[in-house]
Amino acid sequence: MVDQADIGRVVTEAADGDGDAWGVLVQRFSGLVWAVTRAHRLPSADAADVFQTTWLRLAEHIHRLDNPAAVGAWIATAARRECLQIIRASARVIPIPDMTRFDTTPSGDNTPEEAFLRSEREQQDKERAQALWNALERLPRRCHDLLRVLMASPPPSYAEVAAALDLPIGSIGPTRARCLQRVREELA
Amino acid sequence: MRDEEYDNDLEEELRWLAGRLEPVPPGLLRAAQDAFAWRDMDHELAELVSDSLLDADEATLVRSSQEQRLVSFRASRVSIDVEVTRSRDERSLLGQLTPPQPAVVEIRRRQGAVSVEADELGRFRSGPLQPGPASLRFRSAAAAAMPVVATDWFCL
Repeated sequence: MVDQADIGRVVTEAADGDGDAWGVLVQRFSGLVWAVTRAHRLPSADAADVFQTTWLRLAEHIHRLDNPAAVGAWIATAARRECLQIIRASARVIPIPDMTRFDTTPSGDNTPEEAFLRSEREQQDKERAQALWNALERLPRRCHDLLRVLMASPPPSYAEVAAALDLPIGSIGPTRARCLQRVREELA
Repeated sequence: MRDEEYDNDLEEELRWLAGRLEPVPPGLLRAAQDAFAWRDMDHELAELVSDSLLDADEATLVRSSQEQRLVSFRASRVSIDVEVTRSRDERSLLGQLTPPQPAVVEIRRRQGAVSVEADELGRFRSGPLQPGPASLRFRSAAAAAMPVVATDWFCL
């Protein structure tokens, strides 16, 4: 994983035409762009359009960034603006997450006891996952949006989160703590 | 455990959940990689300078502006104003080059380009277009009048 200090160097290499360096940026920041679209609850076709537009814009701007090391914040801002544009232009549809992704098919060569225990555990895991996801969805908008961006993989920096949501960077830490506590309260 | 560790664990659990329920679609990762091939050092970039949907505050957005969006781009010697009309799953463009001049207008999309012409007054329009990323590239009819200019990618 490339650390923050090296990102500026990777950007410079991509700006010089290095496709592998571009690939490093795609791996590092695609999760963040996607998380911004999830925070804005865009339907999947709109999310895909925002995602692609953001990367195409970066390709044009990569050699003219004021602060290459802060490309993550640039990307997050670009994604946020595209999300806002789509939301303001259209009626929003809130997509329903697919809980069936947690269903697993049993393997054929376990004993009935093992299969029962595993399916019990899977059922508990699935219930926990469902409860956690519902708690997230029920959060007030500010907490929902913040946690959705924080949930990006790899984890974003607070500067990137601030850019993604247009929030003061100093507020991120305290708001995160409050919002995670809200999740725990929703689960209890 | 300290509160901070509880917080970190919960955040990590949420991150894992998001990765399982709503991962980045692999096709989009490929598209992001492919975006690099769209860089073109041979044109001047006309940067997006205003977007009626982003520059108005919520209170002044009215119904009609949801169907009609004005996006403006600026390069060193030319600016381009584009009115985007939206209806359900279709978009269309009505554009103006300033200073007014004829040009070939290439409407660049991920799935290919469509060319239209700007008349002697610099006006151009598109037929129906699909939603999604777009960039307009202009080649002046009088070659010396302006360099090849392409707008920022924006989302129709």
